[in-house]
Amino acid sequence: MGQVTATVRITVLFFGRLRELIGLSEEVDELPEGTTLSGLFERYTKRYPKLTEFRGSMVVSRNQEFAAWDTHIAAGDEIAFLPPVSGG
Amino acid sequence: MDSRQEDKIALVRETIDDEALTRHVRAGQDGATVAFDGFVRNQSQGRATSYLEYEAYETMAIAKMKEIAERIHERFAIHRVAMVHRLGRLEIGETSVFIAVSAPHRGAAFDACRFAIDTLKKTVPIWKKEYFADGAVWADGELPPTPPSAKTAS
Repeated sequence: MGQVTATVRITVLFFGRLRELIGLSEEVDELPEGTTLSGLFERYTKRYPKLTEFRGSMVVSRNQEFAAWDTHIAAGDEIAFLPPVSGG
Repeated sequence: MDSRQEDKIALVRETIDDEALTRHVRAGQDGATVAFDGFVRNQSQGRATSYLEYEAYETMAIAKMKEIAERIHERFAIHRVAMVHRLGRLEIGETSVFIAVSAPHRGAAFDACRFAIDTLKKTVPIWKKEYFADGAVWADGELPPTPPSAKTAS
């Protein structure tokens, strides 16, 4: 019998040029427990290789707070990938 | 009385009523209001701009704008803050962001207003796309500071 991996359900958001690039603004995703924000982004780069070049010029937020890339996701999280901000 | 409850922080899709906001922050105990009016420039690096479009991560943008208001209340001897950013399509000359700060004395109002707009431009998740006659580009922008590692983050 294989090991059962627990998964968590999260919401992922993309904004600005990232949203435009991949044509996706929001989706609900189910991921293995223990996934980091970095790991989550990597999964998206497999689906959308064009995202790869933006990894160095973006930040990520978890539940409306800027977060470190090695942060682990938890059930119910709202994760957003954010290009450099340009309000004002 | 905590004047923070009298602050006005908002994202809007219609014309910003700068006069109403300035009136809102101005009270009998104050001696000064300082306002920052950011509006759409008619060119960007020598190219004639047609119009701009702003989008935001709205829930987070509001949270970050409230944080800025908190910080200027802590750092400067001010009274009330109004901070409003507009989203959607904006034409040349239209106000995109308006910040007004009142205080008993002008120094605190100037310093707080400057700090507020500088911090907004670096930390509030809002994005601007510039439209020209022959195309459009996302403005360069600034990367907000983030914790380097979850292990060291508070």
